Amino acid sequence: MTEHVTASLGAYHDGELRGHRVHQVEAHLAECARCGAQLEQLRALTAVLGASPPAADLTSPERFVAQVGFRLRQRSERSTRGKALEIGWRLAPLGLLGAWAFLQAVFLVAGVTLLARHLGLGGEMLAGLGSAAPPGPTLAETLRLSGAGLNGLAQVVLYWLRDEGPMGWGVTLNLAAMAVISLLYGSWLASWWARRRRRQL
Amino acid sequence: MSRQAADAELELIAKAQGGDKAAFGELVRFHREGVVNVVYRMCGNSHLAEDAAQEAFVRAWQHLPNYQPRSAFRNWLYRIATHVALDALRRERGTVEVDELSVAAEEGGPEIEVVSKERGEHVRRAVLSLPPASRAVLVLREYEGLSYREIADTLGIPIGTVMSRLNYARGRLRESLASYLEVS
Repeated sequence: MTEHVTASLGAYHDGELRGHRVHQVEAHLAECARCGAQLEQLRALTAVLGASPPAADLTSPERFVAQVGFRLRQRSERSTRGKALEIGWRLAPLGLLGAWAFLQAVFLVAGVTLLARHLGLGGEMLAGLGSAAPPGPTLAETLRLSGAGLNGLAQVVLYWLRDEGPMGWGVTLNLAAMAVISLLYGSWLASWWARRRRRQL
Repeated sequence: MSRQAADAELELIAKAQGGDKAAFGELVRFHREGVVNVVYRMCGNSHLAEDAAQEAFVRAWQHLPNYQPRSAFRNWLYRIATHVALDALRRERGTVEVDELSVAAEEGGPEIEVVSKERGEHVRRAVLSLPPASRAVLVLREYEGLSYREIADTLGIPIGTVMSRLNYARGRLRESLASYLEVS
């Protein structure tokens, strides 16, 4: 008897064998009951699989097509929103840079103006700026007034924050704004890095 | 598919690639049954199958500009459908319920019908117990009648892998469905 053709039976059953391989398998099947029985099992398996019912309770073709159309519209709207968000996200660093530049300009102009006023430069115009409204209590004064009973640490903080102190109101505000901008930029960098990692996976 | 039908399909594909949603709707109508069937045989739940089949068509629309008519449109759709079915199974792992056997409604009916339904249910569960990679090959071969070459193209695997996965799946099913194979 020729060699068993177990490995080729599936391909023979599926009509995937060509040429002399078909004759080889058929010649073997004519004399081997074991391989013949295996082929019969494959045929029976195909029949059993084919007899199992298809999906039941399906929606009509018209409804199915309409539902696909609805999903496409939804996806299209979502994709437009997504694109707008994506552009906004990409431009965020530019916005932060703009905010930083704007704040620096404001603090620079304010600083120069105050210095000029302090030095008595700028004549009537800067003097007018100072006298236009009666000066109210400064932040440091307000804190001093309300912090009569404060402890030593608070006194030190108040000393640093007073208008003429090393950490005047303008400097403190500038530093706070820089901290917020740095925090936002750091978050943007972290999200950019996370997106990049996700794409690489 | 006849030559005329193939030409008509190519025309619809070209129109759909140009953004014609009505033409794409015709393609959906034409391939709905096959795509739903592939997904259903992959996941065993008709509601999930319809949902996943719709998702497959949405993805097909999104990737339609990349489709090259070198390969059959049906096979291209089946490739997407298989991936969507596997994604759905992964996402819904542990929550997907195989459709229940509705034997109760048939009570009092011919006994043979009940037996046939039970057998269908066992077959479906046996197919679902196969590893997804082997199940995909088996579904495309046994239920959709794709050739080995078409299955290889559809799933992006070598023909040798198609054969080994198919042999493995059939071997497993011959064991789990042995009682049905003897009486058939």
